[in-house]
Amino acid sequence: MQNASSEAMLKVEHLSKSYHNKNGDYFEAVRDISFKIPEGMCFGLLGPNGAGKSTTIQCISGLYPPTAGRILINSIDVHRNPKKAREYLGICSQEENLDSDFKVYDQLVWHARYFHIPMKVAKPLATKLLERFVLSDKADARVEALSGGMKRRLQVARAFISNPRLLVLDEPTTGLDPDVRRILWEILLESKKQGMAILLCTHYMEEAARLCDQVAIIHRGQILDIDSPEQLVKKYITKEVIEEEVRPGVVWKRPPNLEDVYLKVTGSHLGVVDL
Amino acid sequence: MTESMWGIWSVWRRYFAVFRKSFLYYLTTAFLEPILYLTSFAFGLGNLIGDVKVGNEMMNYQSFVFSGVIAQTVLFQGFFEGAYGGFFRLNYQRIFQAIATTPVTLSEVIWAELLWDASKATLASLLVTAIGIATGNFLWSSIILMIPVCFMSALLFGALGLCTAGYSSNIDQISYPQFLFVFPMFLFCGVFYPIDVLPDPLPTLVWILPLTSVNSLMRTIAVGTPFESYALAIIIAWVVVAIFMARRALMSRLVK
Repeated sequence: MQNASSEAMLKVEHLSKSYHNKNGDYFEAVRDISFKIPEGMCFGLLGPNGAGKSTTIQCISGLYPPTAGRILINSIDVHRNPKKAREYLGICSQEENLDSDFKVYDQLVWHARYFHIPMKVAKPLATKLLERFVLSDKADARVEALSGGMKRRLQVARAFISNPRLLVLDEPTTGLDPDVRRILWEILLESKKQGMAILLCTHYMEEAARLCDQVAIIHRGQILDIDSPEQLVKKYITKEVIEEEVRPGVVWKRPPNLEDVYLKVTGSHLGVVDL
Repeated sequence: MTESMWGIWSVWRRYFAVFRKSFLYYLTTAFLEPILYLTSFAFGLGNLIGDVKVGNEMMNYQSFVFSGVIAQTVLFQGFFEGAYGGFFRLNYQRIFQAIATTPVTLSEVIWAELLWDASKATLASLLVTAIGIATGNFLWSSIILMIPVCFMSALLFGALGLCTAGYSSNIDQISYPQFLFVFPMFLFCGVFYPIDVLPDPLPTLVWILPLTSVNSLMRTIAVGTPFESYALAIIIAWVVVAIFMARRALMSRLVK
């Protein structure tokens, strides 16, 4: 294993991905995108539905082969050597894929087996993760008995079981209560401090602005810009105050934020007056 | 993509751990189903029929139908585990998608699924074999050859079930191969009567369906009917084709 402190934990190099969609049309989901995430960085991938975020994640996970370009996790090509590359990867996909045949605690322990993790390491780690994600009292519950938010939390917790150096989260906070969302934010910031590289796909601009050191805005399969949330706001929004008509006749005045950038760059101006 | 035994084993163990939790339920149903068929056909119908002519020899109908029920068990257990179990794991649990982001590859998960479906159906069919031996219908030594033949056949029907699961976009679509393929095999491939009593050209045509070969080979092992070497060749060919089709179905379903 090489020291990756100077190398990026994740490198996406000129990734393109095309496939035939359900109607049989050839579809370019991702077109020549590049970015890298060094250790200790949280990188946000923002874009509307169908922008190519999930396809990018499926390529990073090694499940979809890239049409062009390559993806390196800790300098290992994930498509050529998925077994080795994925030892460093923890992933929480957008769709729920918990193994409902196992109870909450067993869920985590069984997932660890696929990573060669010995039981004497996995068991205390699973207990600790349930504590951190406030699921300890559900350790013996069946997955079906959990609420949507709890399932989501458990699936994020499961991504931590292998102590990954690259964490990929696709919409991790969808359906979470505000207090639980904050717990997850805390966990992510702490993991980042410990050197974890994090790729975060989210619809919540506030979340991206809080957590991400860098943000890429992706639209129709292409990255339109990459920068820190602060720089993006400076670059795209020249106004000091944004006026937004939130209800007919009710106009809010507020400082510009990442959401304004997102709306402007992706070409939608709904509701916001004159960006 | 390189497979490792460890990857396949780690997933197979997952199936086994789940299976252990419902073992008693499984054992009960795996025993009950063949016993229901056997009681009805071997003892009910068998009393009306007495002996049947297989090839040029007469044999007891009870023994005849007993070996047929082994083949039927492999067919049903293998196909339904692959089709319905596979469909559930693919579309509701999504364990393929979840495990294939770990150091275990998708190809290994699919191999484990194939081997598991086959393992479960093999176990069920060996139970029937054991009942057959205990009731004096088969020689005890038949179990030695029965193990590999049951496993091969289980792999065949499990893979066809899994292929069905991969190509079905909703659970109702599984009924098509069930009624067009599985039930016709159950009824026409020699489970309950020798195929040569069927009108021409059916006795030849039914060899297209793999259960005819499975029945022939199992009956040779269990009750010593003449060995038809092409039956073995047909089974092996079907196993290869079925596994290829199942893997293709799942790969094309999961990988873009």
